[in-house]
Amino acid sequence: MVHETIAATNAVVVLDVALPGIVWGWIITMNMWAKSIGTGIIFLAFYLLKKHPEQTGFIRFPVVAISIVFIHIFLLFTVIDLHQMFRFWHIFFHPHFSSAITIGAWMATAFVGLLFAMAYFIYLKKDEAMYDKILGWTTLLAVPVTLYTAGLMAQSTAREIWQMPTESAQMILAALLAGSATMLLLGGNKFSDAVKKDLGIVLGLSAAAAFILYMAEIILGPMKAEEVAAVVAYVKGGEYTVMFWIGQVLGFIVPMVLVCLSLKNKSYYLLKIAAVSALIGLWVSKHVWLVIPQLLPMS
Amino acid sequence: MQLGFLVDLRLCMGCKGCEIACKVENEVPLSTWRLRVKYVDVGTFPETKRTFTPLRCNHCANAPCERICPVSALHYLENGIVNIDKERCIGCAGCVMACPYGAIYIDPQTQTADKCTYCAHRIASAMMPSCVVACPVEANIFGDLDDPTSNISKYIQSHQGNVQVRKPERGTFPHHYYVGGGNVTLNPLASVRNEGHNLFNNITHLPIGGH
Repeated sequence: MVHETIAATNAVVVLDVALPGIVWGWIITMNMWAKSIGTGIIFLAFYLLKKHPEQTGFIRFPVVAISIVFIHIFLLFTVIDLHQMFRFWHIFFHPHFSSAITIGAWMATAFVGLLFAMAYFIYLKKDEAMYDKILGWTTLLAVPVTLYTAGLMAQSTAREIWQMPTESAQMILAALLAGSATMLLLGGNKFSDAVKKDLGIVLGLSAAAAFILYMAEIILGPMKAEEVAAVVAYVKGGEYTVMFWIGQVLGFIVPMVLVCLSLKNKSYYLLKIAAVSALIGLWVSKHVWLVIPQLLPMS
Repeated sequence: MQLGFLVDLRLCMGCKGCEIACKVENEVPLSTWRLRVKYVDVGTFPETKRTFTPLRCNHCANAPCERICPVSALHYLENGIVNIDKERCIGCAGCVMACPYGAIYIDPQTQTADKCTYCAHRIASAMMPSCVVACPVEANIFGDLDDPTSNISKYIQSHQGNVQVRKPERGTFPHHYYVGGGNVTLNPLASVRNEGHNLFNNITHLPIGGH
């Protein structure tokens, strides 16, 4: 972890206060993971309803229901992570718009409103045209809702590896990965081979791109700054190495391989296994990436 | 007016009087610190020396904590102090993450963020911060950086070339300066932090903060 320590100085901290432990832990991981599913499935629904409208019409209600559930899981974990959760309303009555947290809260609220509007038109009014119209706006809003966490991480000045624009890319890739995996599990055998192929390609490519970004951070990141090297050391032989690689293998490598095999063999079961693996691995990967910068001594 | 702080590390003898004065003045709870003095031993026996570094909020001109706070609980006062409104704080810990100096913590009693305010309440009554008053060697120098005749401005002028801030590459423009500092005292990665080998305690991480 220590990079500038040299034999000539042999500097050792001999008295200091206790450093804070992990402040943003598994609750925030749940927050990011659930949000990836909640927005990702909207991205995929928009794509499928445009490209395969005849074969995917049945997803309209299940998609909005799943998105509502997971966005509320995201909101629940956001609120319960607050040390003063009953002051959550301050974000709306004392907003500070330079903060990504404020932007995210307002965007997510609007997003939830649109989701309920979609649910209303498809479930009560059976109005598919209106549903599809609102879906366009919901998809548009899903982009900043997905990205705001990357903005929040970028505002965390010295938490190396939480960087813009890499985290933005990772957030979008996570949403596509989680969205395609959830859609594969949702659709079952009701989807045609063409739809399954499309979903498999999205899953495989987003897994590949996310994996490449992680590897680039791990291999090339330490050249940027000593803090990056110190943080990355936690997953390069450090205490989070095993967990990091479990996340990478389950989240990205297994889905990539299984998607390739399934496209070759036209096996839907392999795609389902890839989807489950991706969802588990994404949680683990996000958790490790969230925790390790917090281990770095700041002072 | 732009209030600022300067610590002459050549004078500091690590008595921790400032730490205690701060604790008492601001009723800082157990296990948390607005101001602390870090001891770093340098060298190999018998050629060794001990360095002392008081660490507190830097009251940055471009404060990441103020920017990330979703409810403006962290805000600037007219005199440049980055203050905190604990009644407004929602305890999201965004500021804890954003501060590159590790100067903000979650108060275990109020469950809100807290940090050094340069004793803003004392300054409002024309008094010096408690740590300045307690320092027996006047290593803490406090005053108006906009006033070229203030003690701090004169001190900075007379020590040109030996005045530093922590992590200048972050672009936060701290209003907290050090004279006589070096890599070992100001860069947290320049010293080894062994688990369980502190002088008077064996705690290096607190299991608090998260849930």
